[in-house]
Amino acid sequence: MLRLWPLSRGLKARHVWSLAARCSSTAVPEKIEVFVDDKRVLVDPGTTVLQACAEAGIEIPRFCYHDRLSVAGNCRMCLVEVERSPKPIASCAMPVMKGMKVKTDSPMTKKAREGVMEFLLMNHPLDCPICDQGGECDLQDQSMAFGSDRSRFTDMTFTGKRAVEDKNVGPLIKTIMTRCIHCTRCIRFASEVAGVDDLGTTGRGGDMQVGTYVEKMFKSELSGNIIDLCPVGALTSKPYAFTARPWETRKTESVDVMDAVGSNIIVSTRTNEVLRILPRLNEEINEEWISDKTRFAYDGLKRQRLTNPFVMDDKGNLVQAKWEEALTVAAKKLVSVPGEQIAAVAGGLVDAEALVCLKDLLNSFNSEGLCTEEIFPMDGAGTDLRSNYLLNTKIMGVEEADLILLVGTNPRYEAPLFNARIRKCWIHNDLEVALVGPKMDLTYEYLHLGDLAEVLQQIANGKHPFSEKLGKAKHPMVVVGSTVLQRPDGGAIHKAVTTIAQNARVKSGCGEDWRVLNVLHRVASQVAALDLGYKAGVEYIRQNKPKVLYLLGADEGAITRDDLPIDCFVIYQGHHGDRGAQMADVIFPGAAYTEKDATYVNTEGRAQLTHVAVTAPVLAREDWKIIRALSEVAGAALPYEKLQEVRDRLADVSPNLTRYGDAEDANYFKQSLELASLVKDNLTSTPIRPPQLNLKDFFMTNSISRASQTMAKCVHAVLESEKKGKLS
Amino acid sequence: MSKYIEKFNNLRTIIKANGGLKGSFLQLYRTDELKIGDFVGEDKYGNKYYQNKYYFVGRSRWVQYVDKVNMDYDGSQIPAEWHRWLHYTTDDPPTKVPPVEREWIEPHTENMSGTPQEYVPYSTTKPKIESWIPPRKS
Repeated sequence: MLRLWPLSRGLKARHVWSLAARCSSTAVPEKIEVFVDDKRVLVDPGTTVLQACAEAGIEIPRFCYHDRLSVAGNCRMCLVEVERSPKPIASCAMPVMKGMKVKTDSPMTKKAREGVMEFLLMNHPLDCPICDQGGECDLQDQSMAFGSDRSRFTDMTFTGKRAVEDKNVGPLIKTIMTRCIHCTRCIRFASEVAGVDDLGTTGRGGDMQVGTYVEKMFKSELSGNIIDLCPVGALTSKPYAFTARPWETRKTESVDVMDAVGSNIIVSTRTNEVLRILPRLNEEINEEWISDKTRFAYDGLKRQRLTNPFVMDDKGNLVQAKWEEALTVAAKKLVSVPGEQIAAVAGGLVDAEALVCLKDLLNSFNSEGLCTEEIFPMDGAGTDLRSNYLLNTKIMGVEEADLILLVGTNPRYEAPLFNARIRKCWIHNDLEVALVGPKMDLTYEYLHLGDLAEVLQQIANGKHPFSEKLGKAKHPMVVVGSTVLQRPDGGAIHKAVTTIAQNARVKSGCGEDWRVLNVLHRVASQVAALDLGYKAGVEYIRQNKPKVLYLLGADEGAITRDDLPIDCFVIYQGHHGDRGAQMADVIFPGAAYTEKDATYVNTEGRAQLTHVAVTAPVLAREDWKIIRALSEVAGAALPYEKLQEVRDRLADVSPNLTRYGDAEDANYFKQSLELASLVKDNLTSTPIRPPQLNLKDFFMTNSISRASQTMAKCVHAVLESEKKGKLS
Repeated sequence: MSKYIEKFNNLRTIIKANGGLKGSFLQLYRTDELKIGDFVGEDKYGNKYYQNKYYFVGRSRWVQYVDKVNMDYDGSQIPAEWHRWLHYTTDDPPTKVPPVEREWIEPHTENMSGTPQEYVPYSTTKPKIESWIPPRKS
């Protein structure tokens, strides 16, 4: 490789860029030519000097500037010299002008940076050794790179350093306001992305303070992101306080399973323990944010865990057992009953590998009783057509949409990052939103169409004034919450929504490539389960009373002991001792999402991989391996032994499940509508109500977050602050 | 010549002091050494202590473990008061200057590692993962 250095140098991005710019400079006249350190760069008009420098490969130091937030220009760290300008200019706020000559390394620039840094450090405590941001602190890094090499601060004995009282903003964010450098990133995030105008500044100059004006909780489902945004250690994570330094931890890229969005995350671990969860950049899904449940529910992975197999003894108590014993007991039972009396329920946190193994196992016993806990209407096309149950427009599609109709969903709590995307487009793209459902705070304004299912019927028939508006939209989206389809009249609602979507699609003339109908799921496993051919909902089990029931992480209580015959043998496999484990006769301890290499499919139908960050505790094992072992003990060994072979099997059943990172398109809306026309219009008059209406409903929704103490504290804090709000 | 006769006589005395050919063989087998010295005292276990200043410091005091332990002798079978004499901390054996009796002195025990009475340390930290405990019905 060393010999190729002239070639590799020539192929570096900025050379290629300048080459391309040279070739195209005549063809694209609207580009503006600027010189960064005498290097010619062509940029679009309206870009800032800072962005132009980034294009030239030079990173300007900054504190207040952030790609996804508005420009504040108050930290002054990004000062650069521009030729023929008497003073250095703040590059983050200055648009480029033709022929501008920027000097990022001149004595004037250096002096300006050193000066700014000196003022910042003068008002910043020297507590890096005890600061949680140490090692990942922008101020630390930039003072090393751009600051002066000596201090002139001598005022310790006279007025001392600036000191600010800490604020209490809830159980998630720890504030040490003395460290604040007033970049206002947190304030801009709260008002622009989170849509909660709680944070602001009081006072001026040296007396300025960032806070919530009066002491209150920062009530947002995205609040944790201000910890990442804070360039210093003023806002840090409360549960993570004083646990580790960033250089001590091992980082594993993974995928979140708390909701159906499938946010990309990084799991920080040390000594086989999950220490924290951070977001990972993925423009198509979560940008660089994650919800609070994703970020803080990790302590639930350490509590209430199933670490040993259990078998029911003669007295009806669950006692610890060896794997051999538990597997033999379960296998004997499986073999002893006829196949049609075996059934299975898959919960919300199950991976695709375990799902396909369980399906193959039960199918080999001639059982078809494979259900998911989440209900989905099976009338009409049901789950046979993928387009029926996916978020077809994709999350990125929101950026192009100009009208969104939300039906019976509260995306703010069911899929916080989808909601953040809607809010972003509502601000920047003039996106309009309409809602069928109860009135609630979605952080943006919307047209409220009522909360009755009849409204949908009227829109579908074209009798409602909104249907005209929907027809005029160029890129309409209809987003249906999965919970509204779980009502008894779910089939009829799905039919109405399909009709609305198809009508809107035809009228708007958006073409075949634009998909209108979207279903927003709540749980991470649902799409994979439906792709693999599971029956949605447990109605089948209620009707065909099984003798053996296999609960694969089913903890939401869709099936209880009352629904089953008394002699029904329940096998529970999962990672938490929750509702499912309590009704089981045999328990197999499985692995949580941080403990296995597994495939999860998000609500868009995008398959993504989680990776092993920590090993499963004690005797717990990866889920597909448990089912494989059980199949062998039961004498019906599944024909795969390695993870890759399971994935090959997944690809055989549904190839999209192994195309990682891609969301496969589904496009059978017309056929779906034709099939849906067979469904009866038996809409009920009960108002549409999504289950998560308030912030307190958001935190505890699955077995992991229910076991988490941090999440419990959040619920408590929200209830307390509501109580306080009522009193005042 | 007389030098060799003297050596031979020494060997004879040592063999005799160690209980004849059979005794010397056993002693060699057990300790890899044949020595002769003055008897200094005996501890509560029956271990016998000897001294011979003919040998260099470090080899001039030694212990003859009680026959009962046979090959399972161990340094921890020597009580503290004899330990200090044996390691030249003092020149006075406990037979001459008996140790001061104090209330808080525990009786000497040998190292029990590898036996059923061994000391096993246990962790006092909380486990990283809290297991679920199933509810008991009866």
